[in-house]
Amino acid sequence: MSRWLYAVAGSLCGLLIGASPGQAAEKLIVSSWGGDWRDMIAETIGKKFTETTGAEVEFITGGTIDRLNQAQLAAGSPESDITFTTAHVGWLYKTGGLYEPLDLSRIPNAANIFPEGKISDSHLGVWSYVYPIVYRKDLLPADVKFESWEDLWKPEYAGMVGLQDFDPSEIITVAAKLSGGDASNWEVGKQKLLDLKPNVKAYYSSDAASEQLISTGETPIQVMLSMMALHQMSQGVPLAVQIPKEGAVMGIDTVAIMKGTKNLELAYAFVNAALDPAVQAEIVRRKKGGPMVSGVEVEPEIADLPGVFMTAEEWKNGAIVIDPKLRSEKLSEWRTWFSENMMAQ
Amino acid sequence: MVMTKRPFFIWFVTPAVVLALFYMFGLASVLELSFRKFIPGSLEVGEWTFSNLEYVARPLFRAVFTDTALICLLTAAFTLLVGYPIAYALVRTKSSALRAAILIIAVTPLFTGEITRTYSWLVVMGNAGFVNAVLMGLGLVSKPVQLMFTKFAVVVVLVHFTLPIMIIILATALSQIDPAYEKAAQSLGAGPVRSFATVTLPLSGPGLIAGITTCFAWTFSAFATPQLIGGGQVNMIGNLVYQVGIASFNFPVAAVLSLAGVLFTMVLVGLMRLALSPLERIPTR
Repeated sequence: MSRWLYAVAGSLCGLLIGASPGQAAEKLIVSSWGGDWRDMIAETIGKKFTETTGAEVEFITGGTIDRLNQAQLAAGSPESDITFTTAHVGWLYKTGGLYEPLDLSRIPNAANIFPEGKISDSHLGVWSYVYPIVYRKDLLPADVKFESWEDLWKPEYAGMVGLQDFDPSEIITVAAKLSGGDASNWEVGKQKLLDLKPNVKAYYSSDAASEQLISTGETPIQVMLSMMALHQMSQGVPLAVQIPKEGAVMGIDTVAIMKGTKNLELAYAFVNAALDPAVQAEIVRRKKGGPMVSGVEVEPEIADLPGVFMTAEEWKNGAIVIDPKLRSEKLSEWRTWFSENMMAQ
Repeated sequence: MVMTKRPFFIWFVTPAVVLALFYMFGLASVLELSFRKFIPGSLEVGEWTFSNLEYVARPLFRAVFTDTALICLLTAAFTLLVGYPIAYALVRTKSSALRAAILIIAVTPLFTGEITRTYSWLVVMGNAGFVNAVLMGLGLVSKPVQLMFTKFAVVVVLVHFTLPIMIIILATALSQIDPAYEKAAQSLGAGPVRSFATVTLPLSGPGLIAGITTCFAWTFSAFATPQLIGGGQVNMIGNLVYQVGIASFNFPVAAVLSLAGVLFTMVLVGLMRLALSPLERIPTR
């Protein structure tokens, strides 16, 4: 009996030792948006990272602003090792001292990154998208075209347009451009924006609301995230995506290493995996966004999709790039003006 | 000799006191933030300033505060009108099966989140939604009626949202009224309507006050409903705080608008209680 007890006790001790933290698999914590975004990162970048390093990836998910607030509260002792966020919000992380400055020599795949992808010394672009004009082909006349952004202002589109309410950067920049200015002297476009008011039916508060409004026909014309529009088209919603001749405002999502991470080596490996051309190709195929490095090869029918900029030339011809630092500084001013003048009844 | 005991139950308020202290600390932080200068492009705040207070006086914010008060008032009023008969039926019905059914139907909306319910209403009230499909199918209208992105739509959805609370509060109040009073009134010649108006309704006064003020105050913090149903055309204080403050990273302005919202709510609820106080005194006459 006592030998049996010793055997059981010995087995239990063996199990406990076997489960000790010292032998657990290494883990990298990544902060990103949830749902499809999390899945895409896990199944492309995360997969490559695990193949290369053997370490697992664990996610913290949430909205852009929520995660920023959490990161700020945890400053110095970050809850994640890596953060995905938008380029201009990334500037807030950087100026808040939350990012680790990047040593590009430790990220070999960054050698081919597009210039627009080097957002700062601490965060790099990982995919891009645009905000073109998207419309319901079945709810508008067959010959409708949006060759220029000016077409959005046509009186026949009164009460048909949906715009973002959480970030008016795109339409503000477009109005400024049509008025001879740009994002930095956006005030020149104020009257142009006010002239658009009769055409605006609703403002959507999220990408999901945007999809809902256009798929139900509430706002048959939208300035809409290209990735969402292309996704809806794949689901059978009869949409057309048009980048006007002036170009479409570009958005870039970024990746960065959090200051204070205890897994610096793994974090660099993750960022390098994110910029691997094969991984970038997979991201383009899944999300129909643009890659951030040159030399990415995808099928022609995907490369030709509106908003998927594969080369520096395409960036130059099709994209309106708002400097992310300027955008982070101007956003409050833009939103206040937009709320007071465009959204107020 | 009179023996006095120290009340034991006084200690049960300790958790509430602790929570209240945490709440006060939080409010104090928000108060401090509201007097700090916003630095564009930064998460840090600057020196002390009173300049954030001028946001409260801007036309947009005055309009949103007014709209919020109006929407809350309409929501409380219509919730009362719809909820009272349901609460009465719940309390007075003799059938336990019917009582259970009413209770389940009344309370079930609480089991789904605000977002789920709001998205459901998008389907009902959209141009291609259920209401317009019925109206057009019956030939009452030739083209869809614009329901979405209006104050009417926001109030309808908020009424649906607050109805369970109103029903629970009113049912509690009505259950305290002895049915013998109604029987006595009817035995003295009062018809059902007069009996209700002169006996039941006044006796339910405290419940009415509790229901109206609770629904009013609760609706004040509505966010998802005006955000989705209002489509940016109907904004309440919560939406304003989010748009101008939080989503713009202008946390000082978000703080000052939040505090203004809390003060505004307290003043309005106080005024409402004052206006409704005659109802509270009726049962003791």
